[in-house]
Amino acid sequence: MEQAVQIVIGGLLQGSVFALVALGFSLVFRVTGAINLMQGAFCILGALSMYSLGQVFHWPTGLAAAGAAAAVVAVGLIIGAAFFVPGLSRLPVSGMLIMTAGMLTLAEGLALLVWGSQPYALPPFSGEAPVRVLGIRLPTQGFWIAAVTAAVILGLWLLLTRTTAGKALRACAENPVAARLMGIDVPRATLASFVLAALIGGLGGIVVGPITSLQFDTGRFFTIYGFVAVAIGGLGSFVGAVVGGLLLGVVEQVAAGYVSSLFANSLAFGLLLVVLLWRPSGLFASGPQRRTDVRDENRVWPPIVRLRGRSAAVAGIAAVALLAALPLAVNSVPVMSSLVITFILFIGLLGLDLLMGYAGQVSLGQAGFMAIGGYASAILATNHDWSPLAATAAGIVVAVACAVVLSLFTMRLRGHYLALATLAFGLLVDSFTVGLTDLTGGPSGLVGIPSFRIGPYAFDTSERMYYLVLALIVVLVVVLHGGVRSGFGRALQAIRTDQTAAAALGINVARHKLIVLAISAALAALAGSLYAFYFHFLSPEMVGTPRSLEMLAMLVLGGEGTLVGPLLGVAILTLLPTVFQPLAAYKTFATGLLLVLAVRYLPGGIFGTAVDRLRRITGGRGTAPVARVPGTLS
Amino acid sequence: MTPAALEAIGLSKSFGGLVAVDDVSFTVAQGTLTALIGPNGAGKTTLFNLITNLYRPDAGDVRFLGASIAGLAPERIAGLGLTRTFQSARIFPGMTTLENALVGAHRHLRGGPLAQMAWLPSVRDEERRVTARAEALLELVGLAPFRRAPATTLPMGAQKLLEVVRALMARPRLLLLDEPAAGLNDSETAELSGLLSAVRANGITVVVVEHNMSLVMEVADEIVVLDAGAVLTRGVPADIQRDRRVIEAYIGQGAGAH
Ligand SMILES: Nc1ncnc2c1ncn2[C@@H]1O[C@H](COP(=O)(O)OP(=O)(O)OP(=O)(O)O)[C@@H](O)[C@H]1O
Ligand SMILES: [Mg+2]
Repeated sequence: MEQAVQIVIGGLLQGSVFALVALGFSLVFRVTGAINLMQGAFCILGALSMYSLGQVFHWPTGLAAAGAAAAVVAVGLIIGAAFFVPGLSRLPVSGMLIMTAGMLTLAEGLALLVWGSQPYALPPFSGEAPVRVLGIRLPTQGFWIAAVTAAVILGLWLLLTRTTAGKALRACAENPVAARLMGIDVPRATLASFVLAALIGGLGGIVVGPITSLQFDTGRFFTIYGFVAVAIGGLGSFVGAVVGGLLLGVVEQVAAGYVSSLFANSLAFGLLLVVLLWRPSGLFASGPQRRTDVRDENRVWPPIVRLRGRSAAVAGIAAVALLAALPLAVNSVPVMSSLVITFILFIGLLGLDLLMGYAGQVSLGQAGFMAIGGYASAILATNHDWSPLAATAAGIVVAVACAVVLSLFTMRLRGHYLALATLAFGLLVDSFTVGLTDLTGGPSGLVGIPSFRIGPYAFDTSERMYYLVLALIVVLVVVLHGGVRSGFGRALQAIRTDQTAAAALGINVARHKLIVLAISAALAALAGSLYAFYFHFLSPEMVGTPRSLEMLAMLVLGGEGTLVGPLLGVAILTLLPTVFQPLAAYKTFATGLLLVLAVRYLPGGIFGTAVDRLRRITGGRGTAPVARVPGTLS
Repeated sequence: MTPAALEAIGLSKSFGGLVAVDDVSFTVAQGTLTALIGPNGAGKTTLFNLITNLYRPDAGDVRFLGASIAGLAPERIAGLGLTRTFQSARIFPGMTTLENALVGAHRHLRGGPLAQMAWLPSVRDEERRVTARAEALLELVGLAPFRRAPATTLPMGAQKLLEVVRALMARPRLLLLDEPAAGLNDSETAELSGLLSAVRANGITVVVVEHNMSLVMEVADEIVVLDAGAVLTRGVPADIQRDRRVIEAYIGQGAGAH
């Protein structure tokens, strides 16, 4: 009994921070209609700043807390003003998701630069000794957490209902157009809500720091748990955020206390998927039915760029010839190895581009399929003596099967919900690859994986692997290039921007989404398998959520919806750190920054922009004529 | 006896407290062009949304060529040959004018997605046929010169025409058009009017929501007048033109009606 009470109290405390993250989510969502994936990172920035000020600079607790909160506000102000607010007026929902995923990566990179990758522990504010109340031991930090959470909730409520500034925020939330007409500076109110949400997250991190482990990348867990809370409670509902957060905390601690922490993770993500399936609008949300006969978004969609006919063929053949000759010019082992990795990742990106660039389905968990395929084939080939070829095929089958199951949950989801469900899926796979030690070797990875071979021929050098993967890529690009130009490809592109109109023309949206997800999962699994066979080793971080986010950056940087463009993105983020070693430490930071900048300033990515420029310079064929009103019926 | 192209039977829908469509019944005979008119907010668009099951009706049934289509998924309904357009032109951004038109032919493409991706010979032939048809239709409405332009660069009127072309690419048996002439200039309206007559001459049944009265009078066989969610009256254009209640419905609505 006593243990049960302790666990529930632990859950409520843990749940408080989820509730605070969820409040931040809801606040920003209410005002802007966007989900800020960076929300959880504010907790970590707050807690780690608190650590530095309190433990390194020995500031007294109160002052350190204030300083840490100020640091979070400063970061929120900069990121909000530089990226978030300007992005809002230009980007569609999916663009904003990618933008905030970039902001999350940026924040993680920043934390990595400042604090490194080791874990930190904050001391409790009022000493380690627990207090006994009615025979139950309560950690003193619990009182701080409860008090701060209550204060934040009360403060937010007072602010929103009792002050003019709060009323302005609410006006923006309800009707931005009317708010603007009433003289409210909407961008400023938006920024204010963003910074306020950052502060709430930061405070949460500061008080909850002493009872959680802290690392530069723990933020994404706060983000996802906060989102699970929001999804349970209902997006945009403040009461729902708090109830959802506390509930999730309790469920998680009970599961971890009585079963295992692996189970707790699975349960939390499972809970998200079930809620999304069963009640997509959450338990508390109520609001007007969305008008589905009006287009989801009126913001600009970048056109899908492509070279046409002859020029595409010529450019393609030239590029392949160049790539085939490349190993002759490269005599550095790490660069050669990096080239192979570039190609392997590109296979995964071809699938991601089909999924995101053409069909418009944002996926933040693509590396999850790499992990499933990679581990499945590596385990079969290493421990069960399957031939690598058969093992790879089996890995693909397993990944496709998982994609089918996932799509049962995500079929009806759009925008935010879809993206977060895929993020939850990726994190779930992460917790399995780390947690199922017997099968996967746990955090230290799976070793002794054989080389890839076809019959007697082993691909056991970088050169051999390079040509194998290059050949695969050529085949895949040719097939997919045909695919996106076919009726199937058109249906995907129609779904990308307007599912309702697509369905009204007889396109089975769910079926197409399932097929494209399955194709992308198959390609990711292929990439994961080749990765494992090439390295003779596979560990969770090679195919974990950071990899998913990195692939997102590669895609957007190279050019969504260009098929071959992402190769540039992969090359930049894989080759550059290899060639210039000192850059490696900045990689996460740079990935985030490039992602954010590319979403904002390079709508077609590097490739799309380059093709566009080229067309403008040559001014010739394929240039889109500017339409003029046609005269008469001819 | 041939079944009616469309039968709406007691359709109702309310949003919160607002009754948008209130027990609406009407029949559209095959091969006719029916205009659905009524002041702003009368529930015309909602009626289309109920017929195509974008919204689930609170009550009522819809029969298409004699068979009930109530509760069918929108893509199934489209697959049966009932195609609609939207009040705000919903062309697909990111695709060219020609590609937009080709999407309309989706329901006629044979072979599964994988066969299409692989460009099997049958797919290739099919593609050539639908492309030729799309080009011909674009030619007909004067959009041929822009077939390779991104569709979003077309002016509003051209986008609306493109949406009608896209719907025609589906070779519909029943075509529902929601205010196709809104945003069209005079010459575009003339082209639309010609297109509608051609469509009807080809035996396609059409229901068109339209505020442009001269267009309605010119092309419609029959007019159904909707007001405040209910059918006010129905009849041939000449009678409707003289019906006082129709005029009152519009005038009572104030200057809102065009
Ligand atoms: N999804 C929805 N949620 C709430 N109210 C709705 C919704 N769809 C329509 N309505 C309301 O139902 C009523 C009928 O709307 P509808 O769009 O069908 O009118 P309409 O006859 O098409 O008008 P218009 O000529 O302006 O297009 C309006 O009052 C509208 O506000
Ligand atoms: Mg309407």
